[in-house]
Amino acid sequence: MFIKNTWYVACTEAELEALGDKPLGRTICNEKMAFFKGPDGRLAAVEDFCPHRGAPLSLGRVCKGHLQCGYHGLEMGTDGKTVQMPGQRVRGFPAIKAYAVVQRYGFVWVWPGDQSLADESKMPVFEFFDNPAWAYGGGLYHVKADYRLMIDNLMDLTHETYVHANSVGQPEIDEAPCTTMVDGDQVILQRHMSGIQAPPFWQMAMSANGLDPQAKVDRWQICRFTPPSHVMIDVGVALAGKGGFDAAPEHKAYSVVVDFITPETETSHWYHWGMARQFKPDDAAITDKIRTGQGGIFNEDMEMLQLQQANISQWPNRKLLMLNIDSGGVQSRRIIERLLAQENSSEITA
Amino acid sequence: MSTPDLTQTPIDADGSFEVHLQKSGQTLQVGKEQSILSALQDAGHEVPFSCSQGVCGTCLTQVIAGTPDHWDMFLTPEEQTTNTQMLICCSRSQTARLVLDL
Repeated sequence: MFIKNTWYVACTEAELEALGDKPLGRTICNEKMAFFKGPDGRLAAVEDFCPHRGAPLSLGRVCKGHLQCGYHGLEMGTDGKTVQMPGQRVRGFPAIKAYAVVQRYGFVWVWPGDQSLADESKMPVFEFFDNPAWAYGGGLYHVKADYRLMIDNLMDLTHETYVHANSVGQPEIDEAPCTTMVDGDQVILQRHMSGIQAPPFWQMAMSANGLDPQAKVDRWQICRFTPPSHVMIDVGVALAGKGGFDAAPEHKAYSVVVDFITPETETSHWYHWGMARQFKPDDAAITDKIRTGQGGIFNEDMEMLQLQQANISQWPNRKLLMLNIDSGGVQSRRIIERLLAQENSSEITA
Repeated sequence: MSTPDLTQTPIDADGSFEVHLQKSGQTLQVGKEQSILSALQDAGHEVPFSCSQGVCGTCLTQVIAGTPDHWDMFLTPEEQTTNTQMLICCSRSQTARLVLDL
């Protein structure tokens, strides 16, 4: 079961653009959807189910803003109503579900639940997109694991020491205690390390920002979960003693790890990952270098999560431990459970 | 006293009506829980049909007399108002007798 009356990232605008006249088929929260560009150029999403014979509409192509089924040529409109079909009068054809879609920050966002509740004002706001002071680069992984395992992963970065030993991991992470705070629907977990050697990824970032990569640094990780499944992580290093997270820009390399985690099925999700940074925002070469580095790091997480899911699926009744390092994930899951219960109780009374 | 014209008489309270087939000369009773199409099939008539829910138009039939009660989504409201054709898979009758071009 998923929170459905909310906005999820479905894909990037670039991904859809690259398909040309082909639609994008994507399952989100167990709902099969087909995304395409309507006659006015605005993106639309409809159920990936032709009302004629149940064929996936995403196998068709987009024709003058209509989604033409690849089986018998039925043409679907952006509102889920059939526009036309060769040799047929379509006025009585049953409509299929059409999903509210918003294009923002380079992403296509979709509201999978009750369409009468879809509300653009409930879109999350991020200062680092569409902002010349920031640069953003990222990618997409399809991960065969419960999306909550990814939230667990991101809401505790102890694993960096082991999973990412060659990039961002270092033993000092384990030694620095983390604090978890719940503020309404937000969970904030933070960890601060002082006077340490920067790990390889951050040495690269320090060099890119004109800092001595061998200098001692103060390092921070501040993970923020917000529903339904977004995790933004302030990460960075500042020259030791300059104030850490609050140090002046010239003393630090700082960025935000951006994670949009979209459930596909109970045991798979779409993971849009990226990094927003304030240093050298105009340097595309750094953006590429970071994307490559981050892609490699997150690939290590993906391997771990998929095999973790396989284990859990094989032994569904085994109880897992929740340790002090897991409190960020535990609190995030509590918020998801609470919102799920709210959504389902309002459906029953409605 | 002349026999009342059943094609001008409102349908019985029980929802049943009769259908006269102009070409074959046969008259069928259509019960409340039955469609014209199924009454025809039960009587051994092979008539074209497909969706059985008033969408596709395959069973479109000309009406010669009587007034149909349109339940389909295939005809436009204007076409329905003329009462000259109907979808026999789902539409019924407002009059005790319908005469169809079958």
